[in-house]
Amino acid sequence: MDRTELTKYLLDRFSDKLQLLDTGKAEPVFILKAENLLEFCRTIKADDTLAIDFLCNIAAVDTGDLFEIVYSVASTKNRIRFDFKITMPYENAEIDSIQEFWAGANWHEREVWELFGINIRNHGNLTRFLLPDDWNQGFPMRKNWDAPDFVRMPEL
Amino acid sequence: MTTTKALHTEEFLVNMGPHHPSTHGVCRFLLTMDGEVVVKAVPYIGYLHRALEKICENRTYPQCLPILDRFEYCTSMSCEYAFCLATEKLAGIQAPERAEYLRVIMLELNRIASHLIWFGTTSLDLGAITPFLYGFREREDILDLFEMTCGQRLTYNYIRIGGVSRDVPPEFIPKAKEFLDKFPAKIEDYVKLLNENPIWMIRNQNVGILPREMALSYGVSGPVLRASGIKFDIRKDDPYSIYDRFDFNIPTGKVGDCYDRYLLRIEEMRQSSRIVRQALEQLPSGEIKTKVSANFKPPKGEVYSRIENSRGEMGIYIQSPGDSKKPLRVKMRGGSYNHLQVMPEIVKGGKIADLVAVMASMDIIMPEVDR
Repeated sequence: MDRTELTKYLLDRFSDKLQLLDTGKAEPVFILKAENLLEFCRTIKADDTLAIDFLCNIAAVDTGDLFEIVYSVASTKNRIRFDFKITMPYENAEIDSIQEFWAGANWHEREVWELFGINIRNHGNLTRFLLPDDWNQGFPMRKNWDAPDFVRMPEL
Repeated sequence: MTTTKALHTEEFLVNMGPHHPSTHGVCRFLLTMDGEVVVKAVPYIGYLHRALEKICENRTYPQCLPILDRFEYCTSMSCEYAFCLATEKLAGIQAPERAEYLRVIMLELNRIASHLIWFGTTSLDLGAITPFLYGFREREDILDLFEMTCGQRLTYNYIRIGGVSRDVPPEFIPKAKEFLDKFPAKIEDYVKLLNENPIWMIRNQNVGILPREMALSYGVSGPVLRASGIKFDIRKDDPYSIYDRFDFNIPTGKVGDCYDRYLLRIEEMRQSSRIVRQALEQLPSGEIKTKVSANFKPPKGEVYSRIENSRGEMGIYIQSPGDSKKPLRVKMRGGSYNHLQVMPEIVKGGKIADLVAVMASMDIIMPEVDR
């Protein structure tokens, strides 16, 4: 399935829930509402045409005024790969865990929690692992985070 | 917990690492043991966390490349390439033909070098010293090729956005061909040393079996996924660069144990040398770099691009704000991150010595996990 077919298929299938972002020639990126996340994951995994069996990556992004969580998924059977993302406000940012579909999401989500401070519902093991155990300086991947020993590169 | 009715045993905790020689970097396992049997293994990571993603957010795109070298230093070429590929997709840059060929040559040579490190250190972990020396002897030839091309032996900074930093010197091609001519015979030596070796077979066969459903669910990729019987290689199934022009096979395993992973990587070295040979024969002349300004600003957008690294899927996610010469977000995804995650599942119920064999056969490297 090529890029246009895939986009059309997904938009037809999830017409009221998905919104396409214009990203030029790269793989398509969709915007999804947080409340549809679990249902969407369940459907794309069970659907035979898509057969999304592989979670590549979860990346959280701090755009300065809101958070985005980008899920990159793929199929090992059907040569399909696309991204979908969920945006959420800064305050009380929270998202469901998708470990029930892809167990590998565990550490990716734990990292999102640790470095961005986005709460993951039903995760089961939200403990520090990249930062020191006694870390008390907030969430370092947020844009407004600054530390005394953090040196910025001089402007060119 | 009792193993037999007559014998009363007690569980105890063992701290393995962070500076254990078999953890290939600094990784700690907290093991709950019942005698020699692992009841539970919990990996602790983060000892090598260097905040590479945060550093990249404060640098221009070309300045990020030396940082990417440190992401996974056994295959620095792949890291550079993954980042360049993502940036080029984002900005719509096309590298010249010759540059693409040079990239493939370097990527595949780097894959062989990385597999040789794996071959050496794995055998060392399991008690064989000769393969270690053999592996590093051949890796030296590859590093010499890299050194004559870009002056570096580990962190190359060779692949750049829009091409490569410099052309190969005239003596590179004969040297590379010489290496490719003698390498198959060397692989036969490795195979003779280990394939039928009784100790090697007992330590590896039916140890650390990774079922295919579990492998997929945990996002396991690369040689480990293929050893579990899933024929999936990004070079074939989601082709990037010019990989569709070369003729090579994707080996797969049947059982998914350590022995399959060993056989598979040996075969991958053979296939990679085939690709290098074809690329050297087809190498066109011409430009090696598209002009890209040091301060270039990619248009607003985001991309996740992935390549097949020697340790599985290496993906780079970049989001560009559009009006800045610095990325808004760079996320690095390495194969080892997911491989380490699945380890507690497959070492459960095995001996502690098997944990060493499994960790070695997964080819986990810590800088890629911690970033």
